[in-house]
Amino acid sequence: MKTTNRRQFFKRMALAGVGVMAAPLLSAKSAVAMKLRPRHDEDVGMLYDATKCIGCRSCEVACKKANGMPFEYDPQGIWDAPIDLSDKTLTIVKLYTGDQEQSFIKRQCMHCVDPACVSGCPTSALIKQDNGVVTWNIDACVGCRYCQMGCPFNIPKYEFDAQYGRIRKCEMCANNGLLDKGQTACSNACPTGAIAFGIQQDLIKTAKSRIRKNPGTYFQDKIYGELDSGGTGVLYMAGVPFDKLGLPDLPEYSSARISEGIQHTIYQNMVAPIVIYIGLAIAAFRNIRKSHKKTEE
Amino acid sequence: MAHVNAKPLGGKILTPSVILMLFVAGAGIYFLFVRYIYGIGAVSNLSNYMPWGIWKVINVIVGAALVCGGYACAFTVYLFNQGHYHRYVRPALLISLLGYSFAGFSLFYDVGRYWGLFNFLIPKYWQGNSVLFEVGLCVMTYIGVLSLEIAPAIIEKFSHVEGRLRVVLDKLYAFLDRFLFLIISLGILLPTMHQSGLGGLAVVMGQKISPLWQSPLISLHHLISCMAMGYGCVIVTEMLVSHDYKETQHMEILSQLAKVMFMIMFVFLVLRMSEVLRSGAMALAFKGNLDSISFWTEMLLMVGGLWCVRNDQVRMKPNNIFLGSCLIMAAGSLYRLNVYIIGFHPVPGVTYFPSVPELSISLGMVCLQLIFFIMIIKTFPIIAKERR
Repeated sequence: MKTTNRRQFFKRMALAGVGVMAAPLLSAKSAVAMKLRPRHDEDVGMLYDATKCIGCRSCEVACKKANGMPFEYDPQGIWDAPIDLSDKTLTIVKLYTGDQEQSFIKRQCMHCVDPACVSGCPTSALIKQDNGVVTWNIDACVGCRYCQMGCPFNIPKYEFDAQYGRIRKCEMCANNGLLDKGQTACSNACPTGAIAFGIQQDLIKTAKSRIRKNPGTYFQDKIYGELDSGGTGVLYMAGVPFDKLGLPDLPEYSSARISEGIQHTIYQNMVAPIVIYIGLAIAAFRNIRKSHKKTEE
Repeated sequence: MAHVNAKPLGGKILTPSVILMLFVAGAGIYFLFVRYIYGIGAVSNLSNYMPWGIWKVINVIVGAALVCGGYACAFTVYLFNQGHYHRYVRPALLISLLGYSFAGFSLFYDVGRYWGLFNFLIPKYWQGNSVLFEVGLCVMTYIGVLSLEIAPAIIEKFSHVEGRLRVVLDKLYAFLDRFLFLIISLGILLPTMHQSGLGGLAVVMGQKISPLWQSPLISLHHLISCMAMGYGCVIVTEMLVSHDYKETQHMEILSQLAKVMFMIMFVFLVLRMSEVLRSGAMALAFKGNLDSISFWTEMLLMVGGLWCVRNDQVRMKPNNIFLGSCLIMAAGSLYRLNVYIIGFHPVPGVTYFPSVPELSISLGMVCLQLIFFIMIIKTFPIIAKERR
């Protein structure tokens, strides 16, 4: 009698195991099949052309001024000399030097079409606005730093030195009112036209016509961010490989699609959890009653 | 729940080991003050490239998996009607309750804007796409469920109370007993959701996690390994707090649990290896860097643990199942550490090792948790005692 019970137990255990295993397999499949997020017609963005950039860093200065960001001094304490993006520096121009080639690169938030940070943020502190800009809300933020873990470009920065740190990142001047006037501080300041601000679709057209007119100038005739990581709002053109400039090789979908695909398959309208809950409750109810009877006997 | 004859263990609470743990906890609490006054950067080695350190990964993610005993027990006893495991339910539930409460508390010093944690409860801030939101909400609810599950033990403690309070307590007890099936089934559903969610957190990190660990099945890997760790937790707890295992009949029951643990961990090992082979990440395991060393250590712990509990004969030896459970729990913990810290490469060349204050906060909180556990089992009827 006892052995059959045990056998049943393991049989049921194995069945449950198979069920649990099958569910995510199905969901992974549907995650891939899930449609990618589209780039909207009204989305604004920027186009950075590294071949036009002279590395004057006017954009950095303008950005600090517009957003009231503190300086990061050099060891002598004279110049504002940030070496990377940080909680004090929202945009930066860096220089890459290879064997035969050299290129400037301006880094900042990419304002992804399908941002991983927005997908991960548990309290809706990071929001993708209707105009495509990714903004941060101080009242909603928990400071969990999941956005930092998720961002494929490592853009959001947290103020680790502050008692109550904030997440700092480029908000495309939506935070300081310039965007309402149809401008951004960095593109305004650029003397060579290396940074263009505008509707993303128009920027892609501009980039394509530049590629047509200047064959051989641009690396692989590629616009980085047109498709990479599901598309980005800040687009890049350069004469050198993008991975040398710190822009990683990413698939043509955002990791947020996979994550949300799995999440939505499992929790679609909460049907599965509710059904499972009812099943569990019935099983538990019967088993408890059975064991009550046993003790009464 | 009332069918188990549980009694307080009694005895002195301030034993030398508890006093030692109090000192460790004290150091942790001191550094917590520093953290709250000067910020996270003042005590930790966290950076903008490695924003999640041991507080989140060890105290929350690993911690929650190690205390899965309540889940494993509820699963076994109430879903598969294995009543003779009943005596393990209460200690396991207590460990789960303490573990989850401390995991929740850890968030209050790990996150930068801790009052914002209450935003999880405000509908206007809800974010259904976020795995972290789901995990957070699930864990909060589960702490409540665990408190209800453990409540009968607290009520039994006050069995000598007379008068009106007695009536209220009796009513509450009867109520809990009657709706136990609703609470228990939540106690199975919620851990299934958030333990898989704790792995699902990694999916959005995409390429930043080494392909040795990153996978679309990562939620499943976390869920299955946490069950095995839960059984390990039940076995280790039982053998530490009670000497009943010295009797053959109890050893038989424990060895059955070890068998279930073996089977689940074996499934995990097969799933993990097949996923690594499928994704073509195996080459990374032979690079000789920290990733590959850590990968093989994880595998070694897992295989070692499985070896200790491989058949019915060896499972009848207490030393074997104790060691096996410990190794399997260590393997599951290292797996989680590998996913979120060792295998996490935001940009090449970034490394992270916790600072001393960071470590002492982590360790202090673990000690505090153990102190609470010892205090509770000595004063409340948690551990079943069979004396003939």
